[in-house]
Amino acid sequence: MKLNRIGIALIASALAVIALVVILLIVRQQTSRANEVRAKGVSLARSLSTVPAGMLAGGAPGLSVLNTLFAYQDNGDLAYAAITDAGGRTLGDVAGRGTFVPGAALPPGAGAAFGQRTLPAAEGGRALIEFYGPLADRSQGQAFVRVGFYQPGYAVLARDVSFLALLALMMFLLVPLVYVVIKREMAPLDALGRQLRQLGDTGSAHRESARDVRELVGSMQAYLQFASSRIAQLEHGSLNATADNQVLQYGSKKLTAALQSLPDGLLMLAPGGLVTFASDKVEPLLGIAVDAILEQPVDAWCRDPALRTLLGRYTNTQRDTLHAHSVDFTPANVEGKYLSATVQPLTGAHGAMAFGTLVVLRDVTREQLARQAGNDFVAHVSHELKSPLNVIGMYAETLADADAGDETLRVESLNVIQDEIERMNALVGNLLNVSKLETGSMSPERNRVRLDDLLRDAYEHALPRAEGRQLRVDLDLPRELEAVAIDKDLFRIALNNLLTNAIKYNRPGGSVLLSARNEDHEIVISVRDTGIGIAAADRERVFDKFYRVSERDAQAARGGHGLGLYLAAQIVELHHGRIVLDSEPGVGSTFSIHLNIVPAATGVVTL
Amino acid sequence: MTQRHILLVDDEPHVTRVLRLTLEKAGYVVTVAHDGHAALACMAAQLPDVLISDIQMDGMDGRTLCPLARKTYPDHDFLILVMTSMTALEERNWARALHNTDFLEKPLSPRQLVARLAKHFAASGAIA
Repeated sequence: MKLNRIGIALIASALAVIALVVILLIVRQQTSRANEVRAKGVSLARSLSTVPAGMLAGGAPGLSVLNTLFAYQDNGDLAYAAITDAGGRTLGDVAGRGTFVPGAALPPGAGAAFGQRTLPAAEGGRALIEFYGPLADRSQGQAFVRVGFYQPGYAVLARDVSFLALLALMMFLLVPLVYVVIKREMAPLDALGRQLRQLGDTGSAHRESARDVRELVGSMQAYLQFASSRIAQLEHGSLNATADNQVLQYGSKKLTAALQSLPDGLLMLAPGGLVTFASDKVEPLLGIAVDAILEQPVDAWCRDPALRTLLGRYTNTQRDTLHAHSVDFTPANVEGKYLSATVQPLTGAHGAMAFGTLVVLRDVTREQLARQAGNDFVAHVSHELKSPLNVIGMYAETLADADAGDETLRVESLNVIQDEIERMNALVGNLLNVSKLETGSMSPERNRVRLDDLLRDAYEHALPRAEGRQLRVDLDLPRELEAVAIDKDLFRIALNNLLTNAIKYNRPGGSVLLSARNEDHEIVISVRDTGIGIAAADRERVFDKFYRVSERDAQAARGGHGLGLYLAAQIVELHHGRIVLDSEPGVGSTFSIHLNIVPAATGVVTL
Repeated sequence: MTQRHILLVDDEPHVTRVLRLTLEKAGYVVTVAHDGHAALACMAAQLPDVLISDIQMDGMDGRTLCPLARKTYPDHDFLILVMTSMTALEERNWARALHNTDFLEKPLSPRQLVARLAKHFAASGAIA
């Protein structure tokens, strides 16, 4: 349809062009004819004016110049030639058939120059152009030559009709040529339009191919709109995906931070056994860098057989276990640490999905040491109880078997048995006191007492034990000692424990000094020994329950049950005092108890 | 028959006193040492037929003394009896690893010890 319209437009424009060309040709021909008539008229008028009047019109009829001129005129456009006077009266003339010399008078001034004028057509005739001028011989302005020509008419065009028709035909023949060329040039555009329409899917799949550029542009626009809306849609989707991704990343980071902040070390193993996650805490626990663990199979990094065996149960193909299992072990790469590893499978909903295995590594060194200390404590207490029991048993047997007369052995046996029972009693008393202190059921009965007697008593109690070890014990008391409010029985335990330690950890030939002095608001009781001293590392823990100095000094520590100093410190604390340790390894230690002085005016102290 | 010689090592005077009395009454010659060093000195002077040692002692303890005595006198196959109240397994393992060594559980019965020694010497005498 569109190509047909183009064809019609081509034909119409071709016809218009032809018409324009014909009109222009005609106008041009008319103008040239008019110029030709004028030139001919002027030259004829001028040449006739030089001819004597007699020759122009005189002589034999039909032989005058004018007649001759008329006879030889080529195309018959000469209407007439005449000689007239100024008034217009004809002196002689020649005229074409059916034409009369108009009788109009010449305009004034015609005797002086040549001129021309247009004369309206006579009835039934044609318009004329007249050229005039004075005759040369009778130049008194009495005679004038007048030559009239017909106005050039359209009749002359008839001669050119065939030429014009040929021209028009040739121009018209260009139309189909242009049409074919356009159609051919349009073919690829047409195909493109069809494709674009299919791409754009504008809902008119069966429409014929584009027939003009406008439709092509329309398709193109539709396609571009579709494409841009699709791009916007994709951009929106991409934006959403990016946002979702960031939310996921945020969640993932949050989760990782939470896992990293856990006090326990975490490992995650893929079902195949590769480590997919290891928290930073793993490194100090196992003594293996996290980088060396990640993405590695268990056998590649695990140096601990217990852990490796346990992990092997979860990574083998049988998966014989679906439950958590734990193992305690000491890591091969870290000194003095106890770890507890709990391994459990990571499963999805209802155990349908297996994500691998989670390993939680917990540092149980403290618990392990406490347990060990507790075990050691029980062992030592047993030993401490068994030793006197042993002696009591043996003496009892000796008593039973002794001869009736051996009085010395009988007395000795009874004394020893009594001593040993006291020793056991003291230990059991200490244990009970510790227990009471810890459960908070111990309430000291504080009375305002003078320390002199108490210190002297403790000193005398320590003497025999010290002498057994070749130690000297000294007592140094000021003349006056301020009063303090204490529970006498409890405080005696504290003092005895300090003195026992000073004797036990002394060296042969050494000494122990028990002293007291008044200070501002305080009484300071000191127990100084010349023993092995306490290493800086042990000083902080020496008051801990069950704590005994390190193995290096185990020989000297023998017999200690790790309760003496603990109990002393607890008792002093109960009296709102403080206990201070000053020690130099190899030289000796001084334990000082600081107690607040009770003002004398208050008398009995109640708390 | 010459008297059997017992070396008694313990830092608890009450224990050594009772055991010495009992063993001497049973007809043994008893030497008492208060720690490992003293015991080794005694052994250098006269080798015992039986070594009875406590574990926990000031100076050299029983844990050091017993293997050292075995090592020092490899040709002298005497019985070693270790007095122990320890319940810990490791305290027993080192003694078990030692040749011709046994335990004496605390509290110790002097009567049982005498019976034990009599049985030991009867058996070794029969073999000899």
